[in-house]
Amino acid sequence: MHVTLSAWQALLIAIWVALVESRILGTMTLTMRFSPLMTGMVVGFVMGDIRQAMIVTAAIQLVYMGFVAPGGALPAEPAIGAAIAVPVALLGHMSPQGAIAIAVPVALLGSYLYQFRFFLNTFALKPMDKYAQEANARGLKFAIIVIPTLISFLLFIPLMFIALYFGAPVISGLVAQIEHGTLIHILNSVGGGLAALGIAIIMQVIGKKRLLPFFFLAYFMSVAFAKLKINMTIYAIFGVIFAILYVMLNNKNSETNH
Amino acid sequence: MSATADTDNSELTGTDTSVARIPQPDPITNKDLMKSWFGWWWANEVSHTFDRMLAPAFCFGLIPTLQKLYKDHDELAKAFQRHLLFFNTQATWGGGTLTGITISLEEARAKALANGEEPISEDMINNTKVGLMGPLAGIGDSIDSGTLQYIFIAIFLPFAKQGSFLGALLPFICFAGLTFTYGYYFTKMGYALGRSAAKEIMAGGRMAGIIDGLGVLGLYMMGILAGQYINIKSYLKFSISGKVFDINAILNQILPGLLPLLAVVLLYWYFQKQGLKITRGLIYLTLVLIVLSAFYII
Repeated sequence: MHVTLSAWQALLIAIWVALVESRILGTMTLTMRFSPLMTGMVVGFVMGDIRQAMIVTAAIQLVYMGFVAPGGALPAEPAIGAAIAVPVALLGHMSPQGAIAIAVPVALLGSYLYQFRFFLNTFALKPMDKYAQEANARGLKFAIIVIPTLISFLLFIPLMFIALYFGAPVISGLVAQIEHGTLIHILNSVGGGLAALGIAIIMQVIGKKRLLPFFFLAYFMSVAFAKLKINMTIYAIFGVIFAILYVMLNNKNSETNH
Repeated sequence: MSATADTDNSELTGTDTSVARIPQPDPITNKDLMKSWFGWWWANEVSHTFDRMLAPAFCFGLIPTLQKLYKDHDELAKAFQRHLLFFNTQATWGGGTLTGITISLEEARAKALANGEEPISEDMINNTKVGLMGPLAGIGDSIDSGTLQYIFIAIFLPFAKQGSFLGALLPFICFAGLTFTYGYYFTKMGYALGRSAAKEIMAGGRMAGIIDGLGVLGLYMMGILAGQYINIKSYLKFSISGKVFDINAILNQILPGLLPLLAVVLLYWYFQKQGLKITRGLIYLTLVLIVLSAFYII
């Protein structure tokens, strides 16, 4: 079974994936990323068989119906899965179900790549602090748009090209090999822990030590009620009520003191 | 790396003490609101980082508007810096509304600074954003990406099953078009809402109470986010004479959620002692996480 593409076809699909995963086309890349459909269409166009590509992609889409990304990280990247699985299915005349079997592990690996992008951004975007301090708008725009886009393109284009050119079976094998490896464990741990930084920064910026009990209250509420899967809006309503109560009681106290 | 940037970041925590006059700001038009909304919408996830999340994109959207408001170099620099701090929300319901509200508050601040009046403080602007970003994201995520997107996909999926490219193109166009349009309306709504609120706040002299209330809401939302986003647990297990000790299980018996809380408290304590040295905090935390996880301690 011949499972490779021409170099041009592989490169075009790799560039498409980089456009989607870098998010450089704006918030409209949301559907492109959450759903494999647009990627399937592009692959069909590049390979000259839109009809079969759409049929295969529709089957992959059913696996990913209802995926949401609270906090920005999806548990899988359907677009990356489709970019590999649809060409392999078309070249190997596989059933849509066979394509799903390839798409799922590849999409899983894709989610690590996407988070690795956040990790690289975290360090590479540092110059923006310097530009902000200099009130340098052009520098800021450069740091916020150009640097992360370059990073994404350097990350996704070579990897996707190699994967497409040398075949998806290599990828499936690679996923199985490193899935439980130390590298992925370290990436997960760093990703899981770094959120603490942003939160500590905001606490410092809000800067009211006497209000810290409300942080601890909310933290232990969310730990204690984790199993109840309480909606963020409900938590927020509690927060607004606490805030109103605090201001009301504070006003009352200052009135009685006068 | 940038020791100077670190020292200057620490100024953000201070309150406005001097009321120096700055040049009058240009008036804000619908075109400016569209520019800022489009900037946020475009940059949205491009510059996502672990420590600031979507703050760079929020700042990116505000750049042209802040340039019209602050003709003063120092005030413009301070505005850029405050909008680069940790920020995370959903694109349309959260980002649109908060872009509008923030512009109205920044405008009120710029006007007051130009007229030599008591301005809306940086705390007020920061706390408003931090307090509202979580609730609005909760609403937006479930409506936009959780419901609306899949309604469009489900409607047009039969086209894809029959092999038509319309099955891909139509849900994409419908979803992108609709969310971009109402995101802009949220921006305009947020701006109008923020303007009337800002006037009331300035007139009523209730600023201190409102900042406190927003501080409560902000710290509270940080607590919820810390519980949901930070994921640190111990993988350390060892056995002494046949009995297996699972550190994570033991820690959970002592106090559930101890490790994530410890990470936040240690960082907060570090910033309290050393000032807001973001770069160093980032490097130290990353190194500690890498070393601990390489040995499977976490």
